[in-house]
Amino acid sequence: MDSILSVQHVTKSYTGHVALDDVSLEVPRGSVYGLLGPNGAGKTTLIRVINRITLADKGLVMLDGKEITVDDIFHIGYMPEERGLYKKMRVGEQAIFFARLKGLDKRDAEKRLRHWFERLGISDWWGRKVEDLSKGMAQKVQFISTVLHEPKLLIFDEPFSGFDPINANLLKEEILGLRDRGATIIFSTHNMASVEEICDHITLINKSRNILSGSVEEIRRAAGGNTFEITHRASHEAFAEAVGKLANVIGESRGVVGGYTATKINIPRNEDIREVVARLNDRCELRAMQEMMPSMNDIFIRAVNGTLK
Amino acid sequence: MKKIYLIVAREFMERARKKSFIVTTLLMPLFMIGMMVAPSLMMLYGGSEQKQVVVIDKSGIVAERMVSSEEVVFSAQNNLTKEEACQIYNTESGVFGILYINEDVKQSGNVQFITNSSSSLMLEELIQSQLKNIIEREKLKERYNIDNLDQMLADVATPIVLNTFENNGTGNEDEMESTSAGINYILGIVLGMLLYMVIIIYGQMVLTSVVEEKSSRVIDVMVTSCSPFQLMMGKILGIATVALTQIAIWAVLVIAASKFLIPALFSADVAATSDMMLQGVIGTLGDTGYITMLFAYLAMFILGGFLLYASLYAAAGSAVDSVQDGQQFNTIIMMPIILAMIVMMSVFNDPNSPIAFWASMIPFTSPIVMIARIPFGIPTWEIIVSLAVLYFSFVLTTWLSAKIYRIGIFMHGKRPSWSELGRWIKMK
Repeated sequence: MDSILSVQHVTKSYTGHVALDDVSLEVPRGSVYGLLGPNGAGKTTLIRVINRITLADKGLVMLDGKEITVDDIFHIGYMPEERGLYKKMRVGEQAIFFARLKGLDKRDAEKRLRHWFERLGISDWWGRKVEDLSKGMAQKVQFISTVLHEPKLLIFDEPFSGFDPINANLLKEEILGLRDRGATIIFSTHNMASVEEICDHITLINKSRNILSGSVEEIRRAAGGNTFEITHRASHEAFAEAVGKLANVIGESRGVVGGYTATKINIPRNEDIREVVARLNDRCELRAMQEMMPSMNDIFIRAVNGTLK
Repeated sequence: MKKIYLIVAREFMERARKKSFIVTTLLMPLFMIGMMVAPSLMMLYGGSEQKQVVVIDKSGIVAERMVSSEEVVFSAQNNLTKEEACQIYNTESGVFGILYINEDVKQSGNVQFITNSSSSLMLEELIQSQLKNIIEREKLKERYNIDNLDQMLADVATPIVLNTFENNGTGNEDEMESTSAGINYILGIVLGMLLYMVIIIYGQMVLTSVVEEKSSRVIDVMVTSCSPFQLMMGKILGIATVALTQIAIWAVLVIAASKFLIPALFSADVAATSDMMLQGVIGTLGDTGYITMLFAYLAMFILGGFLLYASLYAAAGSAVDSVQDGQQFNTIIMMPIILAMIVMMSVFNDPNSPIAFWASMIPFTSPIVMIARIPFGIPTWEIIVSLAVLYFSFVLTTWLSAKIYRIGIFMHGKRPSWSELGRWIKMK
């Protein structure tokens, strides 16, 4: 795997508690990488370590195979969770200031900004003071400031907090668009719906440790563990009898449109799925069979509770 | 450099656009012009009304010789007793006081001054010196039998003008620079006070700016966009630019007003006095080339002094979490300035004493002490070394404050161990 960023055995402790305990992860180039975890798990600390806003007690952060330097940091795009804008400045001037600080020249910055402002529908905020903006509005401005210089690595801390569903959707589209243009995006969140929709890879941090890492699809499949929903003509009892010891029936059946019944089963790994299918097909007039992938929300809760196998 | 420039420009624009900046920039000159005009106005109109003093002279030598002036009129009532006079010339009479002179005043020198309201130092001195003069002359006449004493004294009266020059080896007074301690003294104090005020007003601004930025999350964005040194340097220079702009506007407005506005509004007398205050200093100093050089040095020292102290304020701001905490550093930062003011006083006695020399080399005191020494004429190498030390210290302190700033952010919620501190200091 070609990873753009690699975090290796990072440990960071504050007075009285450990914020990150031996955390390692690899961020594949060109991916959207989600850092998940409950509040206080250490997501923001990890981001601050990656950014070198704070230093790890132990461990390394590598960018493109070399230890990350302050100069690298100056070129990445970073959006902190609490919005970092000068309150007394006007929106447009402020955006130009940050853009020039990131190395764009004034005319180029203004051109790009006008484009982005139009795109996010905030052109008429150009001359307003930041202190007059709502949280979501300020966040849009901050988002533009973060991505304007087209960095190859973008880090967002809780980018969706403070947004209504419409704007959250808009932001998702923009994040995917940035990925399609070649950027790698790391963001932290506890909004699981956004994870399923846009993340390629995730790391789940709980109580300062990395408890789950990998591609979203693999994680969901692994957590799914051979659970299927089968639609058939038989009654719940008849179906259970037909399945016998080949699989475990989960919960009650439910009726579905067209007089069919839907029942969930879990097939132990040592059993052959084809045998189960053949048997059910004989006895229950099998109509459909679908693998049940758990939602990231389920996985999140199960992983945090420690019930994920 | 470009990033520093951007930060300077941002700091400047944010401050220069504030309403409070515009208001103070325009109001301050009014206040300063008022200060310039007030003394002359007071001299013209405000001078307290003529005081009437009744003189009861039992010795018979004093009363007729007391000289009345604009401030005070003496009238002799030698026939009254002290008690009678006190009854007649009481508080309601409008008389300021009663001067009672004993018969034996020549021997004892004791005189009583009984006033209806509190006396003034000026009046007391006036009476004292007149009496001393009268009685001493009377004694001279009596004991040495000199009849035309007044005439003789008038004949020998000689005002002395002391012209002070700096020795340049030629002895030619046209070539030597004149050095007047009096003007230097005033110039030194005025500039010292100016620097002190500039440091207090704008130094605070640096501290507030640093603390405010730390308490908002802008810091996260800034730290990931530029180095702390660039940030600190940008802030200090930005506020210095604000200060320079404001002072320049003030200077232009005050000079313009004293040239055009004051003559138009007030009578020629007032205009002349206030103009004299401005011109007087420049006029006494000598030729224009010398003045230009002198003021160039002074400007460099004031700027350097401000920058150094501003960087100290930046360091203080970096070390604390709130503006209130920062105020505590105020006293400590101000200490060297006050010390420098004290040393400056001694400079006027001996501009080349070891203490004056060293205080004008140590950067914390050099701006003020050197400002006071330069008009006396000191070797150029001393000025250059002092300036170099001053500006180097400014950069060093700014660097240090950037380190403190960075460590403050790293430290966030944690007490660092010594090894960690070491790592942070080494970090870029």
